[in-house]
Amino acid sequence: MTSQPILRLRNVVKTFGSFTALPGVNLDIEEGEFFTIVGPSGSGKSTLIRLLVGMDEVTDGEIWLRDRRIDQTPANQRPTCMVFQSLALFPHMSVGQNVEFPLKLRKVPAEERRARALELLDLLRLPQSYYSKRISQCSGGERQRVALARALAFDPEILFFDEPLSALDYRLRKTLEKELKDLHTRTGKTFVYITHSLEEAMVMSDRIAIMNKGHFEQIAVADEIYGRPVNRFVAEFMGEVNLFDVTGTAGGGLAGAGLESHMNGHAETCGVAMAPGASGTLMVRPEYVRFLASSDTADFTLRGILHGEYALGSRIQYEVETPGGQVITVEKLREDRVDRQPGAEVVLGFDGDHVHLIRGQ
Amino acid sequence: MNTSQTTRIALYVYGVLIIGFLYLPLVSVGFASISKARYLSFPIRHYSTKWYAEALRSDTVSDLLFTSLKVAVIVTLVSMVVAFFGALAFARYQWRFRSLFQKLILLPIFFPQTVLGLALLMWFNSVGVIPSWKTAVVAHLVWIAPIATLIVAIRAYSFDPALEEAARDMGASTVTILREVTLPLLMPGLVSAGLFAFLLSWGNFPLSLFTTGADSTLPEWLYAKMVSGYSPLVPTLGVMSVVGSFALILLAMSIGWLVRSVREARAG
Repeated sequence: MTSQPILRLRNVVKTFGSFTALPGVNLDIEEGEFFTIVGPSGSGKSTLIRLLVGMDEVTDGEIWLRDRRIDQTPANQRPTCMVFQSLALFPHMSVGQNVEFPLKLRKVPAEERRARALELLDLLRLPQSYYSKRISQCSGGERQRVALARALAFDPEILFFDEPLSALDYRLRKTLEKELKDLHTRTGKTFVYITHSLEEAMVMSDRIAIMNKGHFEQIAVADEIYGRPVNRFVAEFMGEVNLFDVTGTAGGGLAGAGLESHMNGHAETCGVAMAPGASGTLMVRPEYVRFLASSDTADFTLRGILHGEYALGSRIQYEVETPGGQVITVEKLREDRVDRQPGAEVVLGFDGDHVHLIRGQ
Repeated sequence: MNTSQTTRIALYVYGVLIIGFLYLPLVSVGFASISKARYLSFPIRHYSTKWYAEALRSDTVSDLLFTSLKVAVIVTLVSMVVAFFGALAFARYQWRFRSLFQKLILLPIFFPQTVLGLALLMWFNSVGVIPSWKTAVVAHLVWIAPIATLIVAIRAYSFDPALEEAARDMGASTVTILREVTLPLLMPGLVSAGLFAFLLSWGNFPLSLFTTGADSTLPEWLYAKMVSGYSPLVPTLGVMSVVGSFALILLAMSIGWLVRSVREARAG
């Protein structure tokens, strides 16, 4: 990815009356990447994607597609295409007619259109017999594929997705997430995807942008965002997490909220060394927290009462309440199930390699 | 759900009573139309189809039918065009005076038709237009176009605005979107609106009475014949009118069926 970005946003502002949805967004999207924008509802991600495809006009700022400035170009003259949340398949047309629609607009001859449509049905693993089916005869997953085939028939420079999987049931969603990632690899196109689901983003994306209140909190690869969030918002948004308010101690270590540190000087190597008196938030994901037997040791330990045990399928989740009233979440694989009854007093521990320190918060 | 014996009997009785209430008057007119006698009287002693033959021969009748048909067809076509764009303004687009427009357009429907007819007649007079079947077209439209608009608007409400956006996103111009997406999707609503418009215009009496001037539509003539000088042609024309309307509905339905099967054949 040394070439210039395919899409560049420079200080993009969008206001609705007195409400500022996007105060000034900057973003570079690289050629061929799967880029996902994740955010809660009302974060401005839908507003942003509508600006990118040209459904709405920017209030201020610039959008560049390679060397071409496109923010004033109407949607029907942009070489980009979007898969809508509702899919927006034309109910009065057959599957084939839907897929051929963008080709028909370009006056591609009927024979060629048909051949291309059948090719795309193949690519999306739909039987050729679906060519003449009505949209109402297709299942949810098949409609997804038809919508993708239609968007690919357009042959866009960038393919945008506006939460197209959100209406599907869990299993189908999981399957299609993988298919979409696979499709991205096979087509080599630039995909820009928006969703409120962190899981979806993690499964598919090369890079993820976390959006909140109209701006990006963090833009990075999935592992980075999951393991090294820049702030509390990102940490809490990306799944279950345990956060501790900590302050630096005189010895170069840290302490806080019932947490006992036994770092013995290797805080530096783990990247959690703090100046005495400085404040921060220590983060540890539930899968890295262990139940300690009396002989076990760990870099950080804390005591609490086991509250509840919840089966999450392949994993078991435990909740432990500390004397300070904080609830710690612990997750274990089913085979590592802990033999403790609710109400039991337990000691939890985790190591310096698995924590992340968010400074200054 | 299980229906008990008594409920079922009650439902049958209810059904028969309702059907009887709705159709008995029509059936009796039907019988009257095939009576040989010059005056309406029951029971009918001699049956004959001579009044049908008479009706088909009569110049008055063909004039009446032609006037009514002219008015109804023009009202239907104009209503459909007005309803198409009106419904988009009503249901599809957000604009400043939309809520006011929605209320104002419905107002004429609530006007008593006789009052509306009289008001329009006075208005035509004051601007110096001589009432004829053409002014009746205008009068019918004032009342019928809003109804047609409402019917299409219901259809317009139910369609996803993203369909038009998707078409635009794939490169379609405004005209192409209208032709390829909006119009086909609103078509079922437009056809129902057209049917309603035709039937409401064809059977309209109060508006026609005030605004046709020297011309006369079928309902007007039927009324005139009943209040002064009964003619056995009255039930005959009544039946012919009902049969004609029914045929129109069948025609519309079969055209709809034809269009669908052609479309499916082309897709297949």
